[in-house]
Amino acid sequence: MELGGNGWIVAVNLIIWTGLFLYLLRLGKRLRQSEASLEKEP
Amino acid sequence: MWPRISTWAAEATAVFAKEWRCELRTRYALNTLGLFAFTTLVVVSVSLGPLGVSLSQGTAVLPVLLWVILLFSVAAGLPRAFVQEEETQTAIALRLAATPSALFCGKLVYGLTLVLALEALITPVYVAVTSLKVVSPGLLAGTLIAGGYGLAAGSTLVAAIIAQARSKGTLFSVLAFPVLLPLLLLAVELSRSAVAGDPAGVALPQLLLYDASVTVVGLMLFPAVWNP
Amino acid sequence: MKNALAWLLWIWLSVVIVGAFKYAPLAKGFIGESSRILFFHVPMSWVSFVAFIAAGVWSLMFLFGGRKPKHDRAAAVAVQLGLVFGVLATVTGSLWARIMWGAYWNWDPRQTSIVVALLFYGAYLALRSSLEDADSRARLSAAYAVLGLAVAPFLFFIMPRIMFSLHPQSVINAQGKIEVESRMVQVLLAGSAGFTALFFWLHNLQCRIESLSERKSALRDRG
Repeated sequence: MELGGNGWIVAVNLIIWTGLFLYLLRLGKRLRQSEASLEKEP
Repeated sequence: MWPRISTWAAEATAVFAKEWRCELRTRYALNTLGLFAFTTLVVVSVSLGPLGVSLSQGTAVLPVLLWVILLFSVAAGLPRAFVQEEETQTAIALRLAATPSALFCGKLVYGLTLVLALEALITPVYVAVTSLKVVSPGLLAGTLIAGGYGLAAGSTLVAAIIAQARSKGTLFSVLAFPVLLPLLLLAVELSRSAVAGDPAGVALPQLLLYDASVTVVGLMLFPAVWNP
Repeated sequence: MKNALAWLLWIWLSVVIVGAFKYAPLAKGFIGESSRILFFHVPMSWVSFVAFIAAGVWSLMFLFGGRKPKHDRAAAVAVQLGLVFGVLATVTGSLWARIMWGAYWNWDPRQTSIVVALLFYGAYLALRSSLEDADSRARLSAAYAVLGLAVAPFLFFIMPRIMFSLHPQSVINAQGKIEVESRMVQVLLAGSAGFTALFFWLHNLQCRIESLSERKSALRDRG
């Protein structure tokens, strides 16, 4: 596959964005879990 | 309706009179404000050198320096109006005694008289020392009054906010300068037109609009700021 | 359901990234490929604008809508995120200014107004950190945010009138100096919408984190 000068920038941007996205997704999942555990406690 | 307005006015007047009575007892704000402004003026004037600045540069630079002196003097003296109430713990008594809006107006008029006295003291000296030629003194006086009102109104509200916080002195400058910056830009622009003899343009209505909106927002927010 | 929306946002912003570099043409009158940074700069400044307005609205809701802690928290988080996006907008704009105007910084009206906005909301956070009592912190910082909402219009009206600006016209009133092609407008609008959605997602997560940690410390104090 041919990557021009811009192609590399697009690739790096997409990797950073995907990394941030997966981190946020995991954060949301962990938040839901600890919210559920806090609901059960009292 | 009328009795309520008259008691409100009586409260505001009482607060104003109380501020000045306290002030004349110690003369703290007058001394600090006056001396601070005078010292800054001397520093500015000495730094400009014995020849001063040329006429063309003068119209651009000198109004800026005048307003910077005024801004810093206000920051040095005005916050005390509320900080002192919290420090001497008279704030609680004041909360019981006065309607918030009347209190705000009393403090605001006190701040205004203080700023106007300062301007009346400093501006003639400044104009004389820098040999600034003012083409339309009326516009300059109007700018000083309207700008002084804006400075007093903005600082009164910010002072009420920071009085309940820690590290009051530095916090006042940090909080007040972004709020007062539009006022300062307008006042500088108007002073420049006054010095050069240009017409006031839209800057004057904008300055008055700034004063009006800070007053309205201050009256609206002050009860929330003052009553815990 | 929540995850489906998130994955939609992932696809959306990925398309925006590809579109910014591959689909949109270069703007006329811009040096080299420098116009491509605008596809990120414009959404960043838009989002910081939205964040600061939202913080003001939440502060108003706090003061005059029953003093609910969630509104105070929402306003504070919006300011934090708005500052992050505002700094990103300033940095991207400054890089672009270096290429187009020859200097990173020259006190263009837009640069001045964003610096004052950043100073103001920095002061907001400084005020919050110097108030220990939670009630007075919420009350006083909300009042300060509303004051900012009242003063900000003056800054935006005065600046362009007093100073000459080199800044391109914003996209919405497109009769500006620089002609914006429709494909550029598509990417800019899509980017602004996508980053606004990202802002609200981040805002939601951060608010929930702070509310959780408050509830946990309250539980710890009790037990």
